[in-house]
Amino acid sequence: MTSDKTPTASKQVGIAEAKPLNIHVGSILSRFFLRYGLILTLILVSLFFSIRTQAFASVDNLLDILRAVSILTIVALGVTFSVVVNGFDVSVGAVTGLAVILSTALMVIWGVPWYFAILICLAVGVIIGLLNSFLIIRLRIPDLLATLGVLYLVQGLQMSITKGDAVYKGMTNPWSPTREIAGGAIHPNFLFLGQGFVLSSEVFRGIPVPVVIMFVIVLVAFIFLEFSRFGRIFYAVGGNIEAARLAGVDVNKVRMTAYVISSVLATIGGLVLAARIGSGAVKAGDPYLLDAVAATYFGFAVLNARRANVFGTVLGAIFVGVMLNGLTMMNIPWYIQDVIKGLVLIVSLGLSYYTTRR
Amino acid sequence: MAVLKASGLGKVFPGVVALDGVDLELRGRYVHALIGANGAGKSTLIKILTGYYPSYEGKIELNGQVISIHKPADAFRYGIEVVHQEVDTTLIPYLSVAENLLIEKLATPEEGFFVRKKRLRDEARQILQKLQLDIDVDKPVADLSLPQKQLLVIARAMSRNASFLILDEPTAALSVSDVEHLFTIIRKLKQGGVSFLYVSHRLAEIQEIADDITILRGGKKVAHFNRETFEMSKAVEAMLGTRPGDLFPTRIPTQERELVLEVRNIRWGQRLKNISIQAFRGEILGITGLTGAGKTELLNILAGSEKADHGDIILDGKVVHFRQPKDAIRNGIFLIPEDRRHRGLWIEYSVRTNITLPFIRDFSYLSFVLPFKEIPHVRHIINRLKLVPPDPGMAVKNLSGGNQQKVVIGKWLLQRARVMLFDEATQGIDIGAKQEVYALARELSRTSAVIFASSDVDEVLSLADRVLVMRDGQIVGEFDTRLVDRQQVMELAISAVHTKTAHSMA
Repeated sequence: MTSDKTPTASKQVGIAEAKPLNIHVGSILSRFFLRYGLILTLILVSLFFSIRTQAFASVDNLLDILRAVSILTIVALGVTFSVVVNGFDVSVGAVTGLAVILSTALMVIWGVPWYFAILICLAVGVIIGLLNSFLIIRLRIPDLLATLGVLYLVQGLQMSITKGDAVYKGMTNPWSPTREIAGGAIHPNFLFLGQGFVLSSEVFRGIPVPVVIMFVIVLVAFIFLEFSRFGRIFYAVGGNIEAARLAGVDVNKVRMTAYVISSVLATIGGLVLAARIGSGAVKAGDPYLLDAVAATYFGFAVLNARRANVFGTVLGAIFVGVMLNGLTMMNIPWYIQDVIKGLVLIVSLGLSYYTTRR
Repeated sequence: MAVLKASGLGKVFPGVVALDGVDLELRGRYVHALIGANGAGKSTLIKILTGYYPSYEGKIELNGQVISIHKPADAFRYGIEVVHQEVDTTLIPYLSVAENLLIEKLATPEEGFFVRKKRLRDEARQILQKLQLDIDVDKPVADLSLPQKQLLVIARAMSRNASFLILDEPTAALSVSDVEHLFTIIRKLKQGGVSFLYVSHRLAEIQEIADDITILRGGKKVAHFNRETFEMSKAVEAMLGTRPGDLFPTRIPTQERELVLEVRNIRWGQRLKNISIQAFRGEILGITGLTGAGKTELLNILAGSEKADHGDIILDGKVVHFRQPKDAIRNGIFLIPEDRRHRGLWIEYSVRTNITLPFIRDFSYLSFVLPFKEIPHVRHIINRLKLVPPDPGMAVKNLSGGNQQKVVIGKWLLQRARVMLFDEATQGIDIGAKQEVYALARELSRTSAVIFASSDVDEVLSLADRVLVMRDGQIVGEFDTRLVDRQQVMELAISAVHTKTAHSMA
């Protein structure tokens, strides 16, 4: 669908060429920055970091950055789906956190096999998505409020599973009256999802599994939204829900699907996160909400798309990741990193939206 | 009396000359009508006069003094006000009538922190009284009818002592009696020295209200008339640039009619009271009546968009039930809805996306949209509907109203409809596009039942074979359009609600 815009834009540039030189250069430049400004910023920031730090430009570090942003990307794509249908899902951070605690607790406290733990978590993700859509579609609660309510609900459930404890091997079972040690452990196959590598060799460390998972999800989401008829339908609902309904789209089904996808992706993000840290930290998913929203809205401006899109969201997530990684490598103290993150976001988005307005 | 004189007005966009050397004079106590097909330059002219563009060609004089209008504030300063077609964008729905009327005053620093409600109300009442408008000043604007909102916006412009009032298609959504009321107000303000620039597609109205008529085509002024020299046929000719063929297509002999759709005893709250109709393939069934008479409601029920409380829809002899529009579409009932921007289009998206959405499955294989199937179809529709520009990638918001409407219609042309429903399909589109919509409706009537609802009585009588007159949720008359008299239909449409309308408006 992005390709729809291209003929118009290129045509206008073509027309502008007939005008006197100053207008010509100006309009081409401004069009160029409108489309590629954010990608350019990303490249410049990366260049800056690689010059300042030797380690930044290596393949291993590149894969490390991708691994660092893989969870964020997965969660952000969920948010993107909700925004594509003109909704909003703020419960994703809590759902990510729930998956972390639930999966690890199932394995460590109750000794559930790792694959069952994953299936149970995914099922819970689906149920939360259905709950969100029930509140939004049937009860007509505004999306922000409905998912905010679910955010608290899910966060409470998350902590109730272990009575507020973190999950780790050898923890005391919070549900045991005699405070005995929990017998289970997190299976290595599960840990592989977050810590493993594929295609390893003597000269190459391999591609981190989270990066592979992210790549598959990105690819599927991209094809779904950009090339399949479902993508058309999703964007149709987001662009004008009444026109979509009158054109024969079952708009409620579409919205429900989007919220379920959102929760399931947040759950997958949580599973990878749990596997990566190898334990169940409480509220581990919280930071992902804001970063995911930032990545999604950042994506609006990439290539001047003006709507949520997979490519933009991925770039947004990478942008956030690149900055964090680069700043850490430059030994910038962690407490200033958020300030810099905020500033870069504001400046790049500000430039992009300011030029879009005209 | 203030005189605004523009000479040689021009505006060039990259690749397009939108307006080219147009002269226009607005004098107090005159209504100057500006007409032209979509894309003729009317909007550009309005935008220049209201300071939308920072630069333009030509000069504007106010009482002989050259003035420059580079921003909206300049236009306000010189007393130029505009009432746009879409009044909702300039009103704040949850504020009261009084607050909306005096919104600018509320925003000034002198007003202080607290809102002085009583004074606000009194002032608002005074303004409304001057225009003899009986609107409750405490009502939230959201509760007003469209004509009331429009009058409110005019009142607000007048309260700022505007000397030049630009009305951009003010009657597009008004019914006959509302138009009359608007004209009364225009005449009254005219007597008070206000000068009007009246933009409309409806030539009959222009004949009634305008003192001067300027016709634009392709950005140029192509004709100028005054009240005495105005002739409808000449005006149409000037707008289209060619001699118009008959605006309405010729009828098909009615013997080949086939009953397709039957509606029995449809009831829906107070909106529809026991409606029964029959629609045949081979004829255009017109439905007319004032806005709010129930035309749109009936069509929405037929299209599965609303549910009736009671009654049956019988399609090809079988009772059908629609839970949502999807079900009606599966049965071949397609709706071209009223209010295309909000209900018929994705204005940010391309022509291509808009046209292929309802039957996107037919352009897909294993759920992948296949451009080599999709684009040829879109090009075919573009050619068939003579869409300008013929660019599948063009965003719909960049098209003129007439071309936008063609896109709305175009999305239903992949499959043969059983019943095609047109709801106010020619609202706000130019004569050329109207002619094409009429021709298309006629063409479709050969293979489908066509129901054409419009509050424009003349349109329905000229186009349709049979006409139903609705009033207050009921069908109050059915006529063969060849045998009926315009006056008769009008009176029937108005009579019973007349007192009610008069009560709420005058």
